[in-house]
Amino acid sequence: MKIEVKNLKKKFSEEFILKDISLTIEKNKSTVILGQSGCGKSVLIKTIYKLLNFDTGSILYNGKSEVDTDKFSMLFQYGALFDSLKISENIAFTDFINNKTKFEKKVISLMSDVGLEKSIFNKYPSEISGGMKKRVALARALYKNPKVIFLDEPTTGLDPINSDKINELILKVITNRKITAVTITHDIKSAIKTGDYYFFIHKGIIQDKGDCKKILKTKNKIFKSFIMGANLK
Amino acid sequence: MKFIENIGELIIKLLSNLGKFILFILFFFKYLFKPKFYLRNNFNYFINIFISTLPIIALTGIFSGMVLALQSYTGFSRFSAESAIPNIVVITLTRELGPVLTGLMVSARVGSSIAAEIATMRVTEQIDALKTLNTNYYNYLVTPRVLSLTLALPIFVTIVDFIGVMGGYIVSVYRLGFNDNLYLLNTIDFLSLGDYLSGVFKAFAFGFIISIVSCYCGLFSDKGAFGVGSATTNAVVISSILILSSNYFLTELFF
Repeated sequence: MKIEVKNLKKKFSEEFILKDISLTIEKNKSTVILGQSGCGKSVLIKTIYKLLNFDTGSILYNGKSEVDTDKFSMLFQYGALFDSLKISENIAFTDFINNKTKFEKKVISLMSDVGLEKSIFNKYPSEISGGMKKRVALARALYKNPKVIFLDEPTTGLDPINSDKINELILKVITNRKITAVTITHDIKSAIKTGDYYFFIHKGIIQDKGDCKKILKTKNKIFKSFIMGANLK
Repeated sequence: MKFIENIGELIIKLLSNLGKFILFILFFFKYLFKPKFYLRNNFNYFINIFISTLPIIALTGIFSGMVLALQSYTGFSRFSAESAIPNIVVITLTRELGPVLTGLMVSARVGSSIAAEIATMRVTEQIDALKTLNTNYYNYLVTPRVLSLTLALPIFVTIVDFIGVMGGYIVSVYRLGFNDNLYLLNTIDFLSLGDYLSGVFKAFAFGFIISIVSCYCGLFSDKGAFGVGSATTNAVVISSILILSSNYFLTELFF
């Protein structure tokens, strides 16, 4: 699904978080949105997902303003797993709460796809590690076979080895399943590894965009400072 | 000038919150009659509330009844009206103390837990996750809690009434030397169905108040640990105040 965002503005209280965002998310490509914490990256993808309303501008999904969000899925920053439900019930959440019982096979297959062992099937989120939680959250996001997947900082809180594993997993999943992916991150390494195109947001506007493989060759001074880890003004 | 500005700001904030709360209640009723109903969720929640709250309200009932009998004796013995103690205990418990004390205890026990649970879900993006999983949070979170508590409170009040009367009986018979048969006979004779039903009606209202206020405070909490803490405190304080104030108007209704 191709998504076009045009002149998007979004404010909270009296402050504009997104001042004028225009970008295109290409079908079956992996788009990465980069930026400092608090620059509005999460707000942007939640707005695209229709979890939040926007003030002005437009978002077109395959050229139309209406979209069935059932085709979308999201991996949240900290997994957002339901603590009171088992891992299997989390993954097959919609089937589970609608009293459908035949989800075991699909869950086990998904768990294997994301590198989870069957032994955690009946465990609770509090009983597994941070890396595993991310995998469970990814399995849950894939359960409904989405056309577009939004990944909100998928490697946050993970050590470099686990971050790498998650990046490889994401790359494998979006390539094999031919999904349009939109990833939020401030990790340049992840962006280069998993992305096709990037957009860099600073102070509510797109400061730079381009090919992920050429991120390090950017000429944009603010983005360069961001890559170098300097304090952005 | 700054002082007036602050007062104005506060009034606007209060009115805006009141408007949001009224809309929240309207949405609750809208989704209550929509067919997406998670029966297992409703049933589990009801059982959960029931089991976790029963010991607390049982203790509330027995000690309230015991204290009521003792205090009534202190007053009534001054003009030789001790025989009215069974009547006073049963009528005060069924019409007033049963519903109000149960409401306050349940607000502290269940209301706070509802608000904290939902606020934590909000802070950890589980509410957003529900939306992405095509699950309406009114159907999944609010309806089971409001229905369970609204239906559970009259049962709790009935239990408190019964245990409270038994508390009064124990003190009156074993401490104050009342005749046991006479005490029970006076209690049963004096109690009318109207007394009991007025307490039950209050319990329905209090159950609804506690659950809807707690869900609202949780769902619209601020972010972070502070937000969860405030949501919990607000849920208990607001529902307690609403219980005490609505109690007056409900009493007027059954006066």
